[in-house]
Amino acid sequence: MKPRVLIAVFVSLACIPALSPAQTRSMFSNLANPSIGLNALVSAQAAPNLNQPYGINFDDAEMSLISVVDPTWTLVSNIVFAGTGEVDPEEVWVRTNSIPNISLKLGKIRGMFGKQGMLHTHAYPFIQAPVIMANTIGEEGFKDSGLEAAWLTPVPWYMELTGGVYKAVDATDENPLDFGSNNHNNIPYGGHLKNQFDLNESTTMEFGVSGLQGRGADGHRHGAIGADLTFRNVPLRRSNQRGWILSGEYLERNSSVGGTYHRQAHGGFASFQYRLSQVWWTGVQVEKALDSYTDVLVDPATGDPIAGNVKRASANIKWAPTEFSYIRLEYSYAQADDGNGFKPHDQRIMAQASYTIGYHPAHAY
Amino acid sequence: MRSLIRCIAVLMVGLMATPAFADLKVATSLSDLASVAQFVGGKHVKAESLCKGYEDPHFVPAKPSLMKVIQQADVFISVGLELDSGWLPLVLPGSRNPKIQPGQPGFVDASEGVPVLEKPTGTVSRAEGDIHPLGNPHYYCDPKNLEVVADHLADVFSKLDPANAADYAANAKAFDERMETSLAGWLKQMEPFKGAPIVTYHKNFIYFLTRFGFKEFEHVEPKPGIPPSPRHIAELADAMKQANCKVVVYQPYYDADASNKVASKAGATALELPTEVGGVPEAKDVFSKFDFMISSLAQALSK
Repeated sequence: MKPRVLIAVFVSLACIPALSPAQTRSMFSNLANPSIGLNALVSAQAAPNLNQPYGINFDDAEMSLISVVDPTWTLVSNIVFAGTGEVDPEEVWVRTNSIPNISLKLGKIRGMFGKQGMLHTHAYPFIQAPVIMANTIGEEGFKDSGLEAAWLTPVPWYMELTGGVYKAVDATDENPLDFGSNNHNNIPYGGHLKNQFDLNESTTMEFGVSGLQGRGADGHRHGAIGADLTFRNVPLRRSNQRGWILSGEYLERNSSVGGTYHRQAHGGFASFQYRLSQVWWTGVQVEKALDSYTDVLVDPATGDPIAGNVKRASANIKWAPTEFSYIRLEYSYAQADDGNGFKPHDQRIMAQASYTIGYHPAHAY
Repeated sequence: MRSLIRCIAVLMVGLMATPAFADLKVATSLSDLASVAQFVGGKHVKAESLCKGYEDPHFVPAKPSLMKVIQQADVFISVGLELDSGWLPLVLPGSRNPKIQPGQPGFVDASEGVPVLEKPTGTVSRAEGDIHPLGNPHYYCDPKNLEVVADHLADVFSKLDPANAADYAANAKAFDERMETSLAGWLKQMEPFKGAPIVTYHKNFIYFLTRFGFKEFEHVEPKPGIPPSPRHIAELADAMKQANCKVVVYQPYYDADASNKVASKAGATALELPTEVGGVPEAKDVFSKFDFMISSLAQALSK
């Protein structure tokens, strides 16, 4: 190589701007990242009378992301990764508290209906959702896109009146309500009235009524109504050690054809949960569901579910070493009747474990 | 008609005879903060705590009725450092009161400016129990920290109610002076016991023990929020005997049985000690709370 060329190469290299040191700091801040949490539910079931395999099942993992958007809005989301592999944006909504006495929710929401319907599955008092809930508003409550306004009324006690409008959706296995009409005048709507009274400093009474209505794919009116009553005791001197909850709920799915009211699935459930200590809970529940479907009542020949009446009693015990995990064991006995002499019964033993990491928002009272 | 006019007149007189409303309606997540707010606010403030003094401030049931209590509040004072994070995120938005939401002038984090102890320096893991990632939030157990809170509240109240700013400043100054005088007396009472090892049920006495020169020996809970096993109780009692540790203290909302068992095995005294105003009837405000804590502890350590 000629010396001139070498000199030219050296001069060129010398003229290259100094290389910047390796980038060790991101230009993107993570300080405003949302609070993140994840809950995982695993269960096992043995039901000798049913044509179902025994074994352990990964139910789902719920990832929650919550953060303030700006001075006006807060975004709350709960993304469910089901054991089947599906991903469901169960809840993704924004809330504003800028309006005195009124809270607005917009997005994919868990509609205000009933008491248990407002809970996430890992917060259910029993492993199995009530049969009538699965046959009216859905096993995991009424979930739909919509807008809700909740008014904290100016009466001396806690009285909240909620009104909402929702997206017209077809009935599915998860959502038994048929709001699937394509008519432009079909905007499903609902209302919820919730009252809570302090009976004394430790015991409260909560009473609520709920209603939903929309037009179905068949062109007829479809809807659901519900009423709930809950007494709850949390001794203030032992708020993390003792307490009990006595709760009952009535739910009904209905339709209106040619002005005639048809009551479809209807029934109720009542439960009593008792806290034995900081880490132990126990509970019992009785249920009755009419004109309802369950995995107990299936056609022996085809395996297809049959509508009928179902009674079920459950008992469980839960060990929760902290508020971030629990293991519970549950037994249930159910008897069904299709009205034509077919009366299968079922007893099953279940276990469920729940684990939460990261931030987890407090459950509703 | 005459009787109707009489009724209206009586009603009007009745309404006029009712006491004047306070200028600021203040709600707090802890009774000590309500007590300080009342001292600083004086006649211009009506302060109320959502958590009773005999209630575990970590586990306040988020009753909807609490939302109702703060629906019309002008100021909400949070303990901060995530002590109330288990229930406040439900109660505050549920109040539907825009004035007291975080970020608004009516929301106060009372821990601001307080020297925080036990801030985790490494990785925060729940393997260590229910720890507080921002540091120990029970700062209100040190009388000096309440002076910081009083000065902070005087500033907040003055901004929200400028007409009475001079009163708030004067009240905070008087509070600080009274606290300094009281603290000197309490330190004198505790002087003979300085350095004594003390077992606490939960990790919420560190500010108190540090201020008065005690040694935090161990805890009845093996880890924060985890109830003790029989083995832990036995091991703790043995360790107490060896160290000549004579007192186990616990709050009214904790399990007295576990503390009594430890004390009994160790030949020590289990003492119910309120760290919050209202924890026992004698603790009517922050001053009488410390009076009770100091005199009870002195009595137990004298045995």
